[in-house]
Amino acid sequence: MPRGNHLGDLEELMLLTVLRLGENAHGGRIKDELEELAGRTVSISTVYVTLMRLEEKGYATSWKGEPTGERGGKAKRHYEVSPEGVEALESVRQVRERMWQGVEATAEGPVVV
Amino acid sequence: MSRSTPPRIAQAILERRLPTEVAEAISGDLTHDYITRVVPTHGRLLADLWYWGQIVTMRVGSLRRAARRLTAIRPSHERNRPDQASRPDADIWSRIPMHPHDLKYAVRRLVRSPGFTIVAVLSLGLGIGANTAMFSIVNAVLLRGLPVSNPSELVEIYTSDGDGNPYVTSSHQDYLDLKASDEGIFSGVIGTRTFVARTERESRDELIFGEMISWDYFEVLGAPMALGRSFVPEEDATPGTHPVVIMGYKEWSTRHDRDPGVLGSTVHLNQVPYTVVGVAHEEFTGTMPVLVSSFYVPLMMTDEIMGFDSGGQLERRSSRSMFLKGRMAPGITATQANEAVKAFSTALAAEFPESNENRIMSALPSGDVSLHPLVDGMLKPVAVMLLGVVGLVLLIACANLASFLLARAEDRRKEIAVRLAIGASRGTLIRQLLLETTLLALLGGAAGLVLANWTIELMMAFQPPLPIPVDFDISLDRTVLWFTLGVSTFAGLAFGLAPALQATNPDIAPTLKDESGGAGKPGRFNLRSTLVVTQVAFSFVLLIGAGLFVRSLQKAQLIDPGFDTGPAAMVWPDTDLSGSMEDGERRAFFLEFEERLLADPGIDRVAMADRLPLGASVQTREFRLPGVPSDSPDGNHDIDDATVSPSYFETMDVPIVRGEGFGAADPNGEPVILVSEAFVETFYRGQDVVGTIIETSGGDPLRIIGVAADTKVRTLGEDPRPYVYKMQGRDRFLGQQFVVKGSGSSAELLATALRVLRDVDPDMAVVEAKTMNEHLSLLLFPPRMAALLLSVFGGLALLLSGIGIYGVVSYAVSKRTRELGIRMSLGASAEDVIRMAIGGGMRLVLVGGVFGVILAGAVTWAISGFLFGIGPTDVVTFVTIPLILSGVALLAAWVPARRASAVNPVQALRAE
Repeated sequence: MPRGNHLGDLEELMLLTVLRLGENAHGGRIKDELEELAGRTVSISTVYVTLMRLEEKGYATSWKGEPTGERGGKAKRHYEVSPEGVEALESVRQVRERMWQGVEATAEGPVVV
Repeated sequence: MSRSTPPRIAQAILERRLPTEVAEAISGDLTHDYITRVVPTHGRLLADLWYWGQIVTMRVGSLRRAARRLTAIRPSHERNRPDQASRPDADIWSRIPMHPHDLKYAVRRLVRSPGFTIVAVLSLGLGIGANTAMFSIVNAVLLRGLPVSNPSELVEIYTSDGDGNPYVTSSHQDYLDLKASDEGIFSGVIGTRTFVARTERESRDELIFGEMISWDYFEVLGAPMALGRSFVPEEDATPGTHPVVIMGYKEWSTRHDRDPGVLGSTVHLNQVPYTVVGVAHEEFTGTMPVLVSSFYVPLMMTDEIMGFDSGGQLERRSSRSMFLKGRMAPGITATQANEAVKAFSTALAAEFPESNENRIMSALPSGDVSLHPLVDGMLKPVAVMLLGVVGLVLLIACANLASFLLARAEDRRKEIAVRLAIGASRGTLIRQLLLETTLLALLGGAAGLVLANWTIELMMAFQPPLPIPVDFDISLDRTVLWFTLGVSTFAGLAFGLAPALQATNPDIAPTLKDESGGAGKPGRFNLRSTLVVTQVAFSFVLLIGAGLFVRSLQKAQLIDPGFDTGPAAMVWPDTDLSGSMEDGERRAFFLEFEERLLADPGIDRVAMADRLPLGASVQTREFRLPGVPSDSPDGNHDIDDATVSPSYFETMDVPIVRGEGFGAADPNGEPVILVSEAFVETFYRGQDVVGTIIETSGGDPLRIIGVAADTKVRTLGEDPRPYVYKMQGRDRFLGQQFVVKGSGSSAELLATALRVLRDVDPDMAVVEAKTMNEHLSLLLFPPRMAALLLSVFGGLALLLSGIGIYGVVSYAVSKRTRELGIRMSLGASAEDVIRMAIGGGMRLVLVGGVFGVILAGAVTWAISGFLFGIGPTDVVTFVTIPLILSGVALLAAWVPARRASAVNPVQALRAE
């Protein structure tokens, strides 16, 4: 399967979440935030698979944090959106905005004007 | 919380399966959720399940692929390097040679053969359950120490009695003096004595068990209160002034719903109101092993608890009924404490020679004493024997499973050989096989725990025939759980190792070539046969033991106790405890009851006595026998006695062999007695003693007017014992037990007697009402229990061995189908084939039987002390048991052998 640098739907949401969370962006929080803001319930495996894919594409970077007691002495893995990631998000947004031009939100739903 | 982390094994499995990139992060996330969310809302058990569920549903494949692609871009992922080293946990677990797929594989194999799994788990469960139940009892009785602070500092302090028994109870006066003579040996000495009292429950009187204690009991023991306070010094200073009580935790939780409002409330013990001041801690059930104390009252309430004037038990130095415990001061050894109490008691003996001569105190470390130094000596061999018995049952169960597994392994030889040939290591295969059996054993252990729990509940409901309710404190505590886990793991390895080793025998080539699979060669003595021989031998030992105890019980039941054991009822009206009856009233009540009983058409004879032979209590009194030398310094003789009505001898059918009975004697005239034949033999060497006058310890004369035939007094096995019968007179009407005889069964007599009692006094409580058989069953209780337990375990062993024999013969037959087919096509008859198949099985039984006889011969000598009326080589037992065993073995072998004769020669030859 050809794998370009296209940003998938979940990838986009997750990258935005990482961006929003800033210093607090790590696996568990990302999962919770995604659930709360986007209403997307994903498994912990999916979160990490997606995060690793984002890293692979160069949109995110990660590093090991400090272990805490609540985590049974296990370290968190922190994530950060890379400049390339920010660029990718920006381009997705531009695409969306272009597509939305000429579409108006009315009481009956979006209509083309 | 001490352990609110996810299951370690699950965590280890998880971390091993995950790619290093994210293993720690994911594990940490799950742990975080586990601790902060799942446990608080769902509890530990569900949380553990949730955690395991997470592992099962984890998309490990996707994670691995993602991680691989990531590292492919950056092969030297510098940030992940240190991770590896900083995961000591994962490191340890990675060294343990277990893979999650091993576990999956084992589970799958067990699920795939449910029949085998169920039989295996059940038989192991029986074995482990028997062991756990038995161990729980031994643990409760012998092993478990007091739940107090620094139990190693405690010593038991005993006083010797006049007869040379060094470990007897002490007197209150001696206790007070010992406490006062502080020489820095003890940081505290406590006194306690047990009591049984009546308390009101749901408008009904019930007997409860409790302790009378010195005020500092809880402080010195270091046992905290669950609620309220313990006693203060003034509550234990003046007799009868402070009716206060501390409640036991069990009483509080079962009878009062753990209501804190119980403090300050009133509890009636023997109709005296007591104020509750505290509740003892949950783990503390009193200082009497196994028994649970419901109430603790100050020693100063002794008279009130005893229900009548206790005759100055607190003041009289010669009244000894207290257990003493001392807590040694820091740096003092038990030897020093022992020397100190010995010196102290020697000084007391010099000061109070009339009461304390030859009364020497000794101190033993509490850790060395379970029930009592002398009782321990008798109980320990019993405990060892019972644990040995259930241990044998478990071994037999293990042998069965090993045998099954060997058969399965034989069938898998080819598969295993192929796997070995294509490069699987032998270690890996053994590991897998052992994992499977250990899993089975742990399942068996779980089943065993359930069975043990049932058994214990059953046993706790099984009251020994004692007049007081016994509240046993036998529970599955942590020690027991560890024991069960240990036994299960042992069982898993024990029955799994041999099959695993044999199945993975690296001798591959012959197996691959050998068409028949190499098993079941006739005449070859393989491992499975050895297991059957062992089983038969062990079963034989157990059955011989059971047989000996059953025979011993039969013999005990045949002993003539010297009185008539025909239908009779015994009723003991509670005139002492249930009211403040004056002596005159009590006498009037007894006489009226007797009269009304005799007026009933179904009742012919009624006797009264303050003690019945072969009852629970032992009662002796000191007599002075002029001209008869005594070992005791005061010249007195301690003799068993009873006070009886004139009709006693006729009612109990105890013949008067010389002189006359009480019939003609004036109850208010000169005090007269009857003595037993053994009394005459022991003290007067058979001379005619009728007319002889002996004295009470106080010097009052007692004239012997007759001699009664001997009866058993304390135990069935005893030699004839000197016995003195005093005549019931005007001043001797304390605590009378009635014996009622007539037409009809014991049960009918009992019903009649109780009905008459209600007519005389509807409110009269009853201490005890029982039939003659129930009365006799008290002494037969230990031999009956021994016979019952051993029969149950022996039967279990026999059943398991039968299954083993069946399995071996059945397997041999299935492997020899081809051979048998050839034989039959060459003209062998069905009978020949059956005989051949059975013969193979019976040969093993014979060998096992020979080993069993040798083993049983050695073991039964050890139990000869418990046997009664028969020797350890009782011929009847040694003839009967082999017959029973052979019968069962024959049946077990015959069933599969019959199948062999049904073999169709043509099909059998075509099968291979």
